[in-house]
Amino acid sequence: MAIGRVGVAAVPARVSLRARVGNLLDREEWLGPVFVSPALFLLLLLVAYPFCMALYFSVSNAFIGRPSHFIGIRNFVNLWGSDAFRQTFQNAFVFTGAAVGFKLVLGLSLAMILNQPLWFKRLIRGAVLLPWVIPTALSTLGWWWMFNSLYSVVNWTGLALGLMDPPGQRYYAMTAVVVVNIWRGLPFFVITILAGLVSIPRELYEAAEADGAGPIARFWHVTLPLLKPVLGIVVLFSTIFTFSDFNIVYVLTHGGPINSTHLFATLARQVGLETGRIGEGAAISLYLFPVLMIVVWAQLRFVRKQAY
Amino acid sequence: MSAITRRHFLTTTTGAGLAGVLATGIPPARGQQREISYLCWNNFAPLMDKKLAEIGQRFTKDTGIKLKIDHIAAAQQAAKYASEVQSQAGHDLVEMRMHFPWLYEGQLIDLGDVVADLEKKYGKVLSSAAETARVHGTWRAVPQYHAMFVATYREDLFKKAGLKIPDTWEDLYTVGKELKKMGNPVGIPISQNYDSISTAGPVLWSFGGMEIDKDGKTVRINTPQTALMIEWYKKMFRDCMEPEVLSWDDASNNQAIQQGKAGWIHNPVSAYIVAKQMKLPTADTINHHRTPGGPAGRHETDVPRHIAIWKFSKNAEPAKEFIRYLLGKREVYDEYIMSADAFNLPVYEKLQDHPVLKTDPKYAGLKAEGVQYHCYGWPAPPSDKVQLITNSFIMPNMIAKAVTGTPTKDAIVWAENEMKKIVAG
Repeated sequence: MAIGRVGVAAVPARVSLRARVGNLLDREEWLGPVFVSPALFLLLLLVAYPFCMALYFSVSNAFIGRPSHFIGIRNFVNLWGSDAFRQTFQNAFVFTGAAVGFKLVLGLSLAMILNQPLWFKRLIRGAVLLPWVIPTALSTLGWWWMFNSLYSVVNWTGLALGLMDPPGQRYYAMTAVVVVNIWRGLPFFVITILAGLVSIPRELYEAAEADGAGPIARFWHVTLPLLKPVLGIVVLFSTIFTFSDFNIVYVLTHGGPINSTHLFATLARQVGLETGRIGEGAAISLYLFPVLMIVVWAQLRFVRKQAY
Repeated sequence: MSAITRRHFLTTTTGAGLAGVLATGIPPARGQQREISYLCWNNFAPLMDKKLAEIGQRFTKDTGIKLKIDHIAAAQQAAKYASEVQSQAGHDLVEMRMHFPWLYEGQLIDLGDVVADLEKKYGKVLSSAAETARVHGTWRAVPQYHAMFVATYREDLFKKAGLKIPDTWEDLYTVGKELKKMGNPVGIPISQNYDSISTAGPVLWSFGGMEIDKDGKTVRINTPQTALMIEWYKKMFRDCMEPEVLSWDDASNNQAIQQGKAGWIHNPVSAYIVAKQMKLPTADTINHHRTPGGPAGRHETDVPRHIAIWKFSKNAEPAKEFIRYLLGKREVYDEYIMSADAFNLPVYEKLQDHPVLKTDPKYAGLKAEGVQYHCYGWPAPPSDKVQLITNSFIMPNMIAKAVTGTPTKDAIVWAENEMKKIVAG
């Protein structure tokens, strides 16, 4: 019988769990993920999961409370056959284009005014933020009252000026939702652009002035180039928010008259929830996703170029 | 025998308790407490909601079952129900309008036993309510009351101008022209709401038209009768109404007559009831007459409302108990109906001559003879497709297109295509 060599290994000192966790957290490769994990968990739960569900629904024939089957891109193809969807597609671009355009011009103008020495500047700056602070559904109810056909001075004026004759009705409704969106979104433009304006060094204006540049030249050659990154970001965010707007249209017009103010979100709700066709509803809400991805990519690329 | 330590006692009792819970599958608190919830619409006769709360409290006192009642605007119901079904969570009882039981058929329990008891007591369920609550032979909901659309008009204006009460839709055009000249136009919504459909249906039916045929599959909107109906709407819109009707919601026509603007609207009696309750000056001047007719007869939209129980409810029996308490006890049902002041009427045959109709002479219009009552989509049998066509507002949008310049034929073809897509599934 062979007897092997018996070695006596050193018994490691017992390390408490607390100390072991402490040691782990001292290492960067552990600490980083630990800090990120709560946010990641929330993102997965509140963003990724619903998004993946919406993706699945959009390629299925899901109907409220019934078993669903994969149908490929049939929902996306069929939507083009729907007059309401084509109208919504057009509305979304008209609504977003008009609202973002006006918000940009008005926001820039107002920010430049607020950047000047003014009496009660702080009070005015605070007041400008009000539309953005009030919950949208609540403020839109106020606008709904103002546009109400029975009680409204706006409506009365529209009728008196002949702006509300039958052919004008559709444009009147779209104008109303665009106006409320501008009112609601303008403070975001003003405050962000104002922050950009404040950060432009005064010396640049003084140098331009010394070179004989007037107010318009100073705006074109100093203010605008230095504001471009800020403007890019503001327009990017506003484009996404405006495309996906829901509250204003839902409270003010419910998408009518004759679907003339429906946006993707309101039509998706009507089709997906009110008529039960969740698959089609999800397809409506995701229709512009690829386009918006390209817009985001292009604008971020533009902003980076301007910034560096 | 060793003494029982605190640790030993806790371990033993916790283990035994857990075993009990696992064996029965019911948590101890739930086992003792009986609580149900009811999602009900915001009644257009608000006093009925108050009465419901009062009856609910009495129900709790009498049975020990807690009842939580939530209310939701009629326009939000479909979306809310969809989310409850999708998440398989929410209320136990739900109020269901018209064809909703067809839309959620697979999600609702069979309530045939409750309906059988009620029919034994009150007689058969009215046909419009039965057709919508009994889905493929199974009662998916219990009919509770219905409201029908009648003509609501300003009696004082009619007398002042010497106008005759319109018997047909053509008569209404003649009267409407005068009313508009007086500054009190006709108020028929042509917008994305349910009142628009409730008037468009009777007009279409009285001209002999229909959306879907009796087979429930063949779209029949593209007919000369629909064209007649649209032509009628076009001249009404031009000569008797104002363009604001294109943007109206369900409450707008009520407000228009209550505030003294409109001279004639088509609506259940809620406009009058609210005017009376709010003591508005117009309350004394409003009266009702039966819905005008046309070459193919006189038709009115009927809106039956039911109570249903979700299949996912864990409290089906207590929920049934509440339905029996509310509708099965004659004195409670009467009290409930009376609180709506004739806006919501009983849906059982033996209760048709209900005392509520005698509370005000202005409710005489509700008992008009020679009227055929239908739900949306008639003569097609109720189905989820009919409900989808309704919820997509195809008919009001077809009319709105035509009155705002789209050629009648194009508007009809548009509606036909939209309906065909839904029917094809």
